[in-house]
Amino acid sequence: MKSLRMAKRHLPKFLESLGKWGKVYVPVKLGKNSYRWEEFDGEVDNIALDALRTVIPAKKFFYKPREVMFEYDKTNGYTQACAECEEDVILFGIHSCGIHSLETLDNIFAGKYVDNYYFTRRKNITIVGTSCMPDKHCFCKSMGADTVDEGYDIFLTDLGDDFLIGVGSSKGDDIVNDNPDIYEEVDESTTKRYLEFRNKRDESFELVLDTSDLPTILDFQYDNPLWDELGERCLACGSCSMVCPTCYCYNVDDTINLDSETGERWREWDCCLFRDHALVAGGHNFRENQGGRLKHRYLHKQQAYLGDFGRTACVGCGRCIVACPANIDYVECLKAMRGEMTSA
Amino acid sequence: MAKPSIGVYGLTGCAGCQLNIINCEDELLDIAAAVDIKSFIMAQTGNVECEIDIAFVEGAVSNEKQKKQLLDIRERAGLLVAIGTCASWGGVEAMINDVPREVAKKDVYGDTMKDNPFYDCFNPMPLKDVVKVDFQIVGCPIERPQFIQAVASLLNGNLPLLPTYALCTECKFKENECLLIEQDKFCLGPVTKAGCGARCPSNNIPCEGCRGPVFEANYASEVEIMLEKGYTKEYIAQQMSTFAGTISAEDLGARKLVKTDIP
Ligand code: SF4
Ligand code: SF4
Ligand code: SF4
Ligand code: SF4
Repeated sequence: MKSLRMAKRHLPKFLESLGKWGKVYVPVKLGKNSYRWEEFDGEVDNIALDALRTVIPAKKFFYKPREVMFEYDKTNGYTQACAECEEDVILFGIHSCGIHSLETLDNIFAGKYVDNYYFTRRKNITIVGTSCMPDKHCFCKSMGADTVDEGYDIFLTDLGDDFLIGVGSSKGDDIVNDNPDIYEEVDESTTKRYLEFRNKRDESFELVLDTSDLPTILDFQYDNPLWDELGERCLACGSCSMVCPTCYCYNVDDTINLDSETGERWREWDCCLFRDHALVAGGHNFRENQGGRLKHRYLHKQQAYLGDFGRTACVGCGRCIVACPANIDYVECLKAMRGEMTSA
Repeated sequence: MAKPSIGVYGLTGCAGCQLNIINCEDELLDIAAAVDIKSFIMAQTGNVECEIDIAFVEGAVSNEKQKKQLLDIRERAGLLVAIGTCASWGGVEAMINDVPREVAKKDVYGDTMKDNPFYDCFNPMPLKDVVKVDFQIVGCPIERPQFIQAVASLLNGNLPLLPTYALCTECKFKENECLLIEQDKFCLGPVTKAGCGARCPSNNIPCEGCRGPVFEANYASEVEIMLEKGYTKEYIAQQMSTFAGTISAEDLGARKLVKTDIP
């Protein structure tokens, strides 16, 4: 870990330097009020430095919405397909909650059967984080994901005229050594402004969720009628899961070609709010009602994952709150379960 | 072993789904190599109406003659596949099923066609209201790759695996800005079956629901969302019945989940 300082006017040079390590992706504005990571077009002005949440989180870089796993051929067997697997990607502009979400996904895909589709791409990704100022839907602080001490190569904190440059890995060190002229040593003013920034950000969180005892409370609330009330409103549209940086469920399907000899195996993002998610042969569905499906998503994040990995699977990014057409609100719902509120 | 035999038929519809089959230009030879096309009036001559393994039927049923034809096809076919939203849900033909046929007829043709038997029709209905449907390939029109995939799966004894979730999921795959949430547009994505690649929202146009309802379409919630956004009940009902008019107005507006059990 080492800290440096870089004047903002050097950002173009910094990005140019990043380009030596791979394809640089930056957040850009989309439509009225949305953002998406796209390949850097060389124009610093097109980067949405203030973007809080992209529509789809960083998982799209190593875990594709729908992709071919392998092709099969009756005579020649299987060919693993992963076209851009070896591509080096620089992910610029990921925030603290996003970096925490990577660890959450790593835990899952590194399980008993290591997922190579995920890790082949994941290992080629350079993480360049940037600081942020929470809006009314951010609650990463409540989920312990508001600051990062590891999990990035470089982290830029916005201090007004310059950035504090946190170097978090040897690759990060290589990157700053590549262009030493644009960095300066941290001085007293830097530390002072950094502390000011930290305090200001810390006080800016409007949305707070008390997570103490939550797994136990959720156990007690298993039969709360609110689950079904929310289930009636839920359209099973899948948006909440698709946009969630820690939702990782996928479905696998085989397609066959007209020759009946060749075909492909696909996998695509799945979601526990779908009717088909717990549907098994014979037409039995383990979760018949939408309320039960919705409850499953919440309990998995706040109970099951916690039991397995010692932290919740929600990083408080607020994406599912913004993306729900029915205004079903993760935090309001959990508050209601705590008895803090009456509606979600 | 003899090649499996198929027939492609059209009832009331625009023939666009059948046309899309003919438009599978790169794969037509492969299709012809894999199956024996016994009947496809739009595409070939020398058609034979015999027993077939799979019948693909486009269009809604809107008169007695078609009803008889469909019953006959069902008799002869091992599997019957509805192609397109008309065959699956009534489609645009069923848009004004809440208006009595006689009134509609008069509105369109005046009195001139009153006694012409050619215009004898009833409320257009999906195939499933007349016969057992084994599978639906929805879309207005159907997507070519899905037709090909369906044929290939059926040939191998499997029901095709086409998306069963809502369009929003595909819209997220495309990482679009949500038109319903961020722009307050009237989007039917949450109740519409995916599979078109979220074609319209990807071009900044809200989904009109041309693929028909998703398996468990929560119209009640969609109605509530749209009312909250300030759309009138009439407008909402009109939009929702554009492609799925056979779901009664009561279902569209009431607190009801519309379920379908056809894969
Ligand atoms: S559950 Fe919602 S707030 Fe939590 S990480 Fe997922 S999208 Fe973000
Ligand atoms: S985004 Fe909302 S409506 Fe859609 S599946 Fe999630 S909770 Fe249900
Ligand atoms: S634009 Fe329409 S289809 Fe896309 S996510 Fe929003 S509501 Fe769903
Ligand atoms: S987005 Fe909706 S209206 Fe457009 S093609 Fe797809 S299903 Fe049809």
